[in-house]
Amino acid sequence: MNTFVNESLLEIRRRSVRDSLVESLAALDGELPIDARTVIGGTRSGGRELVSSDPGSPGTRVAEAGFSGAEEVAHAVEAAKRGTFAWGRLPADERVRTMRRAADGMRRERNRLTALIVRECGKPWGDADAEVCEAIDFIEYYAQQALALDRAPDLVQVPGERNHITYLPRGIVAVIAPWNFPLAISTGMTAAGLVTGNSVIYKPAEQSPGVGSEMVRIFLDAGIDPDAISFLPGDDTPGRLLVEHPSIQTIVFTGSCAAGLEINAQAARPAPGQTHIKRVVAEMGGKNCLVVDADADLDEVVPAAIDSAFGFAGQKCSAASRILVHEALYDQLSERLAGAVDSALVGQAENFGVDTGPVIDTESVERHRRYVELGSAEGTLLASQAEIPTGGNFCAPTVVADLPPGSELLTSEVFAPLVTLERVPSLEAAAAAIDSSAFALTGGLFTRNPEHARQFELASPVGNLYINRGTTGAMVGRQPFGGNRLSGTGSKAGGPGYLSYFVEPRVTCENTMRHGLVV
Amino acid sequence: MTNTILDPPATTPRESEVRAAGRLLITALEDEKPLSAARFNSMMVDRISDHEKLKAALFRLVDVTPMCRDTPEVADHLAALLGEIEDPGRGVRLMRRAAGSPVLAGATGMVARAGVKGMASRFIVGESVDDALGELAGMWRRGVASTVDLLGEATVTEREADAYAARCEQTLLALAAAAPSWPSRPHLENDMHGPVPRVNLSVKVSAMTPNARSDDPGRGAAGAADRLLGLLRAARDLDAHLHVDMESLDLRDTVTGLVFDLLSEPEFRDGPSVGMVMQGYLTDSPEELDRWLDWQNGSGRSTPLTVRLVKGAYWDHEVVEARQSGWVPPVFTDRSACDRNFEGLTRTLLSRLDLVRPAIASHNLRSISHAMAAAELAGGIDAIEFQVLRGLGDDIEKALAELGFRVRTYSPIGDLIAGMAYLVRRLLENTSNDSFLRARAGAENLDSLLVAP
Repeated sequence: MNTFVNESLLEIRRRSVRDSLVESLAALDGELPIDARTVIGGTRSGGRELVSSDPGSPGTRVAEAGFSGAEEVAHAVEAAKRGTFAWGRLPADERVRTMRRAADGMRRERNRLTALIVRECGKPWGDADAEVCEAIDFIEYYAQQALALDRAPDLVQVPGERNHITYLPRGIVAVIAPWNFPLAISTGMTAAGLVTGNSVIYKPAEQSPGVGSEMVRIFLDAGIDPDAISFLPGDDTPGRLLVEHPSIQTIVFTGSCAAGLEINAQAARPAPGQTHIKRVVAEMGGKNCLVVDADADLDEVVPAAIDSAFGFAGQKCSAASRILVHEALYDQLSERLAGAVDSALVGQAENFGVDTGPVIDTESVERHRRYVELGSAEGTLLASQAEIPTGGNFCAPTVVADLPPGSELLTSEVFAPLVTLERVPSLEAAAAAIDSSAFALTGGLFTRNPEHARQFELASPVGNLYINRGTTGAMVGRQPFGGNRLSGTGSKAGGPGYLSYFVEPRVTCENTMRHGLVV
Repeated sequence: MTNTILDPPATTPRESEVRAAGRLLITALEDEKPLSAARFNSMMVDRISDHEKLKAALFRLVDVTPMCRDTPEVADHLAALLGEIEDPGRGVRLMRRAAGSPVLAGATGMVARAGVKGMASRFIVGESVDDALGELAGMWRRGVASTVDLLGEATVTEREADAYAARCEQTLLALAAAAPSWPSRPHLENDMHGPVPRVNLSVKVSAMTPNARSDDPGRGAAGAADRLLGLLRAARDLDAHLHVDMESLDLRDTVTGLVFDLLSEPEFRDGPSVGMVMQGYLTDSPEELDRWLDWQNGSGRSTPLTVRLVKGAYWDHEVVEARQSGWVPPVFTDRSACDRNFEGLTRTLLSRLDLVRPAIASHNLRSISHAMAAAELAGGIDAIEFQVLRGLGDDIEKALAELGFRVRTYSPIGDLIAGMAYLVRRLLENTSNDSFLRARAGAENLDSLLVAP
């Protein structure tokens, strides 16, 4: 058993802890906007035209960054090549020490980072705190894994030869990150690249350059070679240019399915002068199902379903978006779920006790509105709260039932607070419905029959299956995370095999026999 | 504000006094018939507890049985749950075969369901309040008071919260209508503070709102306020006692904040009689109790606050949640430390009889004996109430009643589905290796149970 210990969550149920978070947010507000301009070779430069705002209060300028373009990409690649040379040749334990200093840096600034995630992404406190812990966990976990990789497993040895295997950095890693876990996913992808000796060129999401910039600053403060980490905020231009660039060896991406497939196709075409095969590690969409068996305890199901579907406004990759209920419990569950959604609190992420905060941008509000309309046209709106705050990007948590098979709502990712409810005659029927999906990220099952749990597990294509709990909240080292099928490349962030995507193995065999003498 | 009063009574008994009290209790216990149902039940629980995996399987069966639509489905679950036991003994193999056999499944399921029902009926006094009135009156005649608890599913909607509050109010009315016909039992209805209400209802704040959140005590308190307010008024008008149960630490600030807020209203200055629950397994419980005493002292209320002192029923939850989150567990993980703290809290309560009515709720012979001896120093038999759980503390209930103490039995009412969470928690609590009941069952000589923790 791995002895890794996850970073302790804040005990937000204690008033003193809540008070200190509120203070940190006030202090942060005094610093806004954050300087999130481009960083190459440790130096900031460029414009401030790209502005991120508080999703709950779009007038607030949270961070200012520039739109990086071809010139910045070229400079970053040049720096990264130098970085690969210097940083990549350091002994593994020296890199690990530096990385762990970055984890300490995050610990020192923990409350501030949490507050910034609340402010820039509208993520409620509990989730924001869990995210900072996850970021720290990624650094520590990959540090542990890098050391294990450095002490590579024994090869078979026979007299007269010496065999060993070394894992070398692949080169330059392009990290293309999402806004929904602006710190944790960025940190995980970046740390995996760096700790294995690669240089990283990091492109944050357009919506969250502030958090991304703070992460890069913490890495630099910890002593990472400034050439080994660059920060290229912008729209999707820098990402596209990096994917096409002949000097990029590895592309690590988390985002939509369409973008992931595009990256995969682009990366497969070698650019002129390219001397390697680009490797793509992608985490893409999902259409995650929560299945409720006939014997489930609805006292447990309802809160788990609400949290999985509407926590962080349904914007976690792992969020439940379909609930498939055994017909024996359908009426009971739909009534209780609808009642629970009616009493959910929609509000500013910074208010403790809020169930559903704002969505990231007006585009998301519009998408949610469109899907709610579709739901009411094709099915029944079981619950859709009337009272939501004005002024921010708020959506009412919505439950849609009675949809016809084949409805777009049953196949498309909504990425906002909307969940569908379906009646199924059996667990087998639920499993078949899930199996027909192109996505296979997370899934959940509530049952009190262990035999049903085993059968469902066998039939389940998803990357992360949760039994008798919600579908969100994977922990580093405990639930390595990532999807199968069109949900991703099957790589497991926070899991034992992840670093293998960032290295190239080299085996050396030395003949130790000379004139009949074995040395 | 401090809690020191001018002349605090000495409430620390000598060990010899605790042992003397304990021997009285043990003598009363031994008057019981050797093969009472209670003894038989604790023997069965004891045997099952020796096999952790079997215990887990059977508890899970108890948990799911009410949700099974027919007896083959019960058998199906039994077979699957037993199938999880990796190293089955002969008994388990036989049970598994019976549950899995098409011929025997129906009968096995029927037996299992009957077993679960039988077990539930030991812990639950009736399916409805009308159902329970006869038994509650019978207890009263035997010299045992009660506090009624309405079992229910978790509250996740406003409608469920309304339904719970309405059931509570109906229960208060039904009890208040029935209680006057109960015969006079002076030691159950009077103490040094004056009259003790015959009608006593325990309620849960989390059942009165779907909005209880650990990170925002104010939200849950606001959500439950109107319903609890209605119940406080009903209790006041019916001369009933309302006891607000404590749940997991996640909701402690919600519960205490709400209760103190409402009780600060001038309309509740002279009643009703209200109680709260102090959980002695919480490491910060002494400070928390000081806070409560300060509050009561400054509240200007003319009725004492009843404080039910328990060890606490959410130990596993608190420890697991803490371990998963990387927190220091908020509870004592050492049983002796927990027991010592319980005794300390007992003495604190008995030293502030000007403010509180202490109700000592434990099945541990040592804890009870200590409280008996401490009460003797603080003001005699009148200074204290004991509380026990129906189905688990039946023999202790009888013994304490025989000794002339005011005993109140926590008496759950509800149907089987609603009762399961309660039932499993009680079973867990009393079959865990730390269980006080088990210690008693296994002790060679009962005197050894009176040793200071």
